[in-house]
Amino acid sequence: MNGGALVEAKDLFKYFPIRAGLMSRHVADVRAVDGVSFAIRQGETLGLVGESGSGKTTIGRLLLRLLPATKGEILFENQNILAMSRGEIRRLRRSIQIIFQDPFASLNPRMTIREIIAEPLRIHCLASGKEIDERAHELLKLVGLQPYHANRYPHEFSGGQRQRVGVARALAVSPKFIVCDEPVSALDVSIQAQVINLLEELQEKFGLTYLFIAHDLSVVRHISTRVAVMYVGKIVELANREELYQNPLHPYTQALLSAIPIPDPAVEQRRKRIVLTGDIPSPVNPPSGCRFHTRCPVAFDRCVSEEPPLREYAPGHFAACHWVEEHGGARPDLTTAPAAVNAGAK
Amino acid sequence: MPLLEVENLRTTFRTEDGPVTAVNGLSFALDAGETLGIVGESGSGKSVTALSIMRLLSRTATVTADRIVFNGENLPSKSEADMRRIRGYKIAMIFQDPMTSLNPVLTIGEQIAEAVRLHLGLGKRDARDRAVEMLEKVRIPLPEKRLGDYPHQFSGGMRQRVMIAMALSCNPQLLIADEPTTALDVTIQAQVLELMNDLQRETGAAIVLITHDLGVVAEFCRNVLVMYGGNMVEYGSATQIFSEPRMPYTQGLLASLPRLDDSEHRRLEPIKGQPPNLLRLPPGCAFAPRCAYRMPICDNPVPLYDFGAGHVARCYLYDERARDQRPAQARALPTVSPIGAAS
Repeated sequence: MNGGALVEAKDLFKYFPIRAGLMSRHVADVRAVDGVSFAIRQGETLGLVGESGSGKTTIGRLLLRLLPATKGEILFENQNILAMSRGEIRRLRRSIQIIFQDPFASLNPRMTIREIIAEPLRIHCLASGKEIDERAHELLKLVGLQPYHANRYPHEFSGGQRQRVGVARALAVSPKFIVCDEPVSALDVSIQAQVINLLEELQEKFGLTYLFIAHDLSVVRHISTRVAVMYVGKIVELANREELYQNPLHPYTQALLSAIPIPDPAVEQRRKRIVLTGDIPSPVNPPSGCRFHTRCPVAFDRCVSEEPPLREYAPGHFAACHWVEEHGGARPDLTTAPAAVNAGAK
Repeated sequence: MPLLEVENLRTTFRTEDGPVTAVNGLSFALDAGETLGIVGESGSGKSVTALSIMRLLSRTATVTADRIVFNGENLPSKSEADMRRIRGYKIAMIFQDPMTSLNPVLTIGEQIAEAVRLHLGLGKRDARDRAVEMLEKVRIPLPEKRLGDYPHQFSGGMRQRVMIAMALSCNPQLLIADEPTTALDVTIQAQVLELMNDLQRETGAAIVLITHDLGVVAEFCRNVLVMYGGNMVEYGSATQIFSEPRMPYTQGLLASLPRLDDSEHRRLEPIKGQPPNLLRLPPGCAFAPRCAYRMPICDNPVPLYDFGAGHVARCYLYDERARDQRPAQARALPTVSPIGAAS
């Protein structure tokens, strides 16, 4: 999987300790990321989807080393960033940037837009004096804002405009790789499309590589080259976009896709929905064996006792499921009307 | 006779910057047993509409309406005590965040029992039985045991199901659900929507579902009311709204959404500009500044136009008078007559 990989995570773990009592005794761990491996190729967008508590945001933060990993390796351009010194990390962040979910919380309210965008330029000594202003204006125009916006404060902008400022700040250092952590989920629907299109244009223009973290599978289908599905700290399926949406192998992926309502009543009426029972398990005490076995309609004995490995069933299509393995890569039929998700595809 | 009829609802908030018009002359009606989806973006006035009808807004709000008739009774003329007897009994409400709408220091059992004792006059034991029955209905496992648990001991999806149990415990005629699944994960959202569907079939309650998610509306609602800038801009059956949207805002909203069943990569067509500033709503169409079809006539108050079979839209594109103002791409549109005078 290393051919052309810009970023590679190998057997990555992140446990958050839970401490309790007077002595802050270590009583348990939140197993946010629990043995995850994947690669992101140069110029692609890897979509990372999952529900709350699946560990997708933690992975994004680990890749920037905003959080230290518990175990594992993260290679960026074949260098292990987990072994880097502070100075090296600082230099690394010229190549790796992040766009956050909440455009209200991620911009300092006491700084003008110019100061916000200029800060990374100053930190990395990329510009000084007048150049900074010129570069800030250039970046604002790039993300669809006007140079006169530079003197304003974040509160003077709407959510969509603030997210554009966040994008401009990330682009200031001309990074190669950007982690987009739910960049549009806080925005109104009519504004979401503006920001998605902007991210696509910038990718084309600068050859950027994205890790696109989201819970909205429609947005992820739109923007991603490949998609990884997470469930309680593990990747359960990874495939090319079309392959994943047309031929989801893992029962969880199928249920997840089936749960997304499609804005078209004619399609909705024809669809058979797979409704899972039960809640998402806690990452503090995940179920034994396959973590999905508590909600899986096709689970059997082996799923309770043995953890399924992520295996390749078709070129580039990985899944972690005993049922799929025992049926030679076939997918379980969870509805009576298969491929219901694509019933209305134009 | 409709179950709920709202005419010319207007809600303004006093703020430091001046009056903010959150709802601007809204009229709609709802039949018994109907499911109506109210969609719109943040600030379009959907939640304020619900809170205005329920009289749940703070004193900074001024609510006026020509009529708000529920079940033959005029709500604005009711005393506060009468409203208390209607709220939670005949009209129940579910909010977006179940954690903040449940009382953290009372057990789930006490909270459900409180409503049924108050409204149905049940005794302690009967109220308890009713609470167990409702928890069973919303598929909470071991309901007898869970009665004594506090809200924090439930997951988000379960809390929302507890809210539904509480809302339906007195057999309301109308359930207003304000973004009931927005805070939930998709697999849990599917559970909650399925549950609401089943319970509606069972109880026959009318539901007003307020949401920004057009997918949820397509799945769940028979009729759809689209709001923009505090007023209805389009209304019709779900099929009419999704297959033949008439108002450019509705059209734009649908074109800007990525869909799960898009197999080809298509460029999204965003709506340009920003949602309107409620401090300074334009005198005419609130959407005009962002509209690709904007015409000079759009600066006047816009009436509703009738497209037949209950489908109405607030847009001058279909007006005879605007025929020669139409941009080239809209020349071929039919003209229809407005309903009454401009509102």
